[in-house]
Amino acid sequence: MNMRKIQMPLFLSLLVLIPLDFYLIFKVAPTERVMGDVQRIFYFHVSLAISSYLAFTTVFIAGIIYLWRKNLFWDTIAYSAAEIGVLFSTLVLITGSIWARPIWNVWWAWDPRLVTMLILWFIFVGYFLLRNGISDWGKRARYSAVIGIIGFLDIPVVRLATKWWRSVHPRLKSEGGGLDPVMLKIMLFSMATFLMFTVFLFLYRYSIARAEENLIVLTKRLED
Amino acid sequence: MTFAGNILAITKKDISLELRGKESLSLMFFLSLLLLVIFNLALDMDNENTASLAAGILWVIFAFTGVMGMGRTSMAERDEDAYLSIVFSPVSSESLYIGKVISNFLFLMIIEISTLFFFAVLFDFEKIIISLPGLLPSLLLGTLGFSVVGTLFSFLTTTSKHGEIILPFLFLPVVVPVVLGGVSSMNLILAGRPVEESMKWIQILAVFDFMYLCISLLLFKYLIEE
Repeated sequence: MNMRKIQMPLFLSLLVLIPLDFYLIFKVAPTERVMGDVQRIFYFHVSLAISSYLAFTTVFIAGIIYLWRKNLFWDTIAYSAAEIGVLFSTLVLITGSIWARPIWNVWWAWDPRLVTMLILWFIFVGYFLLRNGISDWGKRARYSAVIGIIGFLDIPVVRLATKWWRSVHPRLKSEGGGLDPVMLKIMLFSMATFLMFTVFLFLYRYSIARAEENLIVLTKRLED
Repeated sequence: MTFAGNILAITKKDISLELRGKESLSLMFFLSLLLLVIFNLALDMDNENTASLAAGILWVIFAFTGVMGMGRTSMAERDEDAYLSIVFSPVSSESLYIGKVISNFLFLMIIEISTLFFFAVLFDFEKIIISLPGLLPSLLLGTLGFSVVGTLFSFLTTTSKHGEIILPFLFLPVVVPVVLGGVSSMNLILAGRPVEESMKWIQILAVFDFMYLCISLLLFKYLIEE
């Protein structure tokens, strides 16, 4: 499998990139005037959010392809990505909460982006609950694909519905000059690093899933 | 039989089943009544705050009784081993789905209207009955949204382990926009605001219904292939 060929260089480059990213975030990036050091959590928060959206998009696309081609490979792709998506969205909610306490003075606000992320998190937790209850591989793959597709398509509707409440979430392109150029560069660097990390984790999770599946097949064959 | 004929046949089957056993409707009815009582005891309600809390209480009850009822309907089918016969019956998956959406919609509507009535009695709030014509569009669209999503998901959870418990986990997050739309438009109408203000919520409900109806029609056939 050529997966391993990608995994190793990715791992080696992340070995350099992740410490560099941390250095940039904590040492190079200027301290934000109003928020202070706590603003540095943005570099993680935003990168994690983008990575989790990437993961959920993968679940969505893999789900469609599975229903179309009926190849279990795509189901493995989908649930590997879903697991990373759940992990990262959990971290997004936690980092956001840590930031919100000193800045908004609350741990949680009912803002569209927060609610959307939370709903998405709930749907994909449900995705795994459902998977655990089905033993037939084909059926599990079909049902998960349906949940993955519906869950993903729910995002814009939830977003729109919650938007008509007041929105307090800061936007990257704020009025006037926007983000400081150094901050922006570090933000982009951080995003790229996290996306690479996501791909790495995903490949790793995928190869574990394949090993698990092979093990089940082999055990069955031994039993027969 | 034609497409519409098939749909009607499925709906009729569900209705006659319900008329004979009254399993889902009675469950939903007593659950909604019980929830009304619990809300009344749990919240300190008086003449002033009833109007502002009504929409929230009612839509939570609608969502919960709805998901319980739809789960019950499809579970009954599995318990009686009717599930496979329906899947193998010579109707297209689309007509099967639409037929079930219609019957679920009708059951939910019956329960919602009765809940509104009992709300008026138990909370001493006749205004909710008087403003029923204004509430009807959001009620109809919201209920359609519930049944469109609920029918799809109840099929999905019927054949899996612990399906009855998992169904609310899948259903409730997805219908968040319906609950938001229903609560917001009801709040506006009960506050005596003109109908135009609740229009955007009606729109979002309509968009939700249309979108999920299309997706469900596309996806439903993958659920019943065995």
